[in-house]
Amino acid sequence: MLVTGIKSKPVYAPLQADTRGRYHLMLGMGVGAAPLLRVIAEMRVAAAQSLKNTRVLFVPDAGAAGEIAQFKAAAVGDVRAFAGTPALLEQFRAILGESLMGTRLYVAGPENFIGLVMKIALEFNLNKDEIRAEECGTLARRVYCIHCRTTTENVRTNIVRCDDCERWLLVRDHYSRRLAAYMGVMVDAEAPGELPPLKEVFL
Amino acid sequence: LSEAQTIAVEVVGIEQVTPLIKHFKLAPVDGGALPVFSGGSHIIVVMQGAERVHRNPYSLLGSPQQLDTYEIGVRRMEESRGGSHFMHDTVKLGSRLEIAHPVNLFGLDKIARKHVLIAGGIGITPFLGQLEDLHDGGVPYELHYSVRSSEHAAFLDRLRRREGERLHMYYDGEGQFIPFETLLATQPLGTHAYVCGPAGMIKHVIATAQSCGWPDSHIHWEQFSAPPVGDAFEVFLARAKISVHVPPDQSLLESIEAAGVEVPYLCRGGVCGFCHTRVLELDGELLHNDHFLSEAERAKAKSIMPCVSRAHCKRLVLDL
Repeated sequence: MLVTGIKSKPVYAPLQADTRGRYHLMLGMGVGAAPLLRVIAEMRVAAAQSLKNTRVLFVPDAGAAGEIAQFKAAAVGDVRAFAGTPALLEQFRAILGESLMGTRLYVAGPENFIGLVMKIALEFNLNKDEIRAEECGTLARRVYCIHCRTTTENVRTNIVRCDDCERWLLVRDHYSRRLAAYMGVMVDAEAPGELPPLKEVFL
Repeated sequence: LSEAQTIAVEVVGIEQVTPLIKHFKLAPVDGGALPVFSGGSHIIVVMQGAERVHRNPYSLLGSPQQLDTYEIGVRRMEESRGGSHFMHDTVKLGSRLEIAHPVNLFGLDKIARKHVLIAGGIGITPFLGQLEDLHDGGVPYELHYSVRSSEHAAFLDRLRRREGERLHMYYDGEGQFIPFETLLATQPLGTHAYVCGPAGMIKHVIATAQSCGWPDSHIHWEQFSAPPVGDAFEVFLARAKISVHVPPDQSLLESIEAAGVEVPYLCRGGVCGFCHTRVLELDGELLHNDHFLSEAERAKAKSIMPCVSRAHCKRLVLDL
């Protein structure tokens, strides 16, 4: 019922340092710290001078301060902590506005976080060969209701009630990079009230 | 592409714009409008020479909005295989030529945040069409144009008039060179660079951009290679079941065409990959001169671009 094999579903890969870049911008959230620290370690070996041109924007899990200390200890150019994704994205947008060609982007965190970062990167015409992303953390999805155009956040179930129009939506694998959301399509349009069993699938 | 799809045109304007470059205007013999094109497109001009047919690619340098004539710029090549000499010496006002429909292998990136255009000599021609698209686009751009000296600066008046401060001129005869490193190291994110000019310049721009951290997807270039001369060789066409002799100064594609076998092509300059042909048997080596096949594909020796590539072999069988 999930409709699999959809080509637009993003594919992620473990982060790797791209030392051909001149500037490195890292964005992460929660458990995304580990992959970013791994890239920083790779860079220290391959091209240590890149570290001074490296910036980290990070949203730590509530109460966790250890990661920020680890980034700072790694001697990267600039480390900033944010209380939440919106504040990080605002700063990210400002940085991209001043960035030069030669910048590489590394993103590590849950897919919905990656999607929101990618959406902004796309506005600045960053291409696939300038961005690397590793998915880690929750698989919860942002779901775009194709009927009322509202996005429902943090969806963990196969079907979900739209936040705005309250239609029951089937969460598809069909993904929009522009909207940073999966498409949700009314699930009981043909047989009103007939819903498949609700299951937690995006944990 | 086949001859049936060409358009008959008449030469309605010729201007010697530099000691080496002539500017031609071509109008359709049947009247009416020529096919629509986008900036950066080229056409193949088919010339009936005394001994052979020449087919050369030339960039369209007029406005894509103006379709009553096409404009091309032709540089007289020192080591011409005949095409550019034919255009310079034989073609007069009123001459008839055949042209193929425009093809664009050098289009602008539609969502770029800025364009940096880099031209060397006759390499200015594809940009003249692109600039027409850029004028109204609202996207920032700059043009860096390098020539030997002012007398060799083709279309300079037109560029000065229309581009103003966006035009940066460099006369290398006076020791002025495009500062590639500074230029490419200081561009805002989302910039695309385009280069057309001598092979050495293209190579240098690509290498400099890469060293400045540019990803390949933001670097664009166009270079039509003239088919190089080489040793004569024989080729057997498996499907046509004929043997074809390729003389030293004729390309493999031209020789196959002269034997009456049609090969699909678009650029005839080793760029587009359209004439990609399978090699069925080979005793010897392929001399690849295209910009299309990867190193891995070349190593396999299973395909060839007959528009510019040749072979040094005892036997070559192609899937044609």
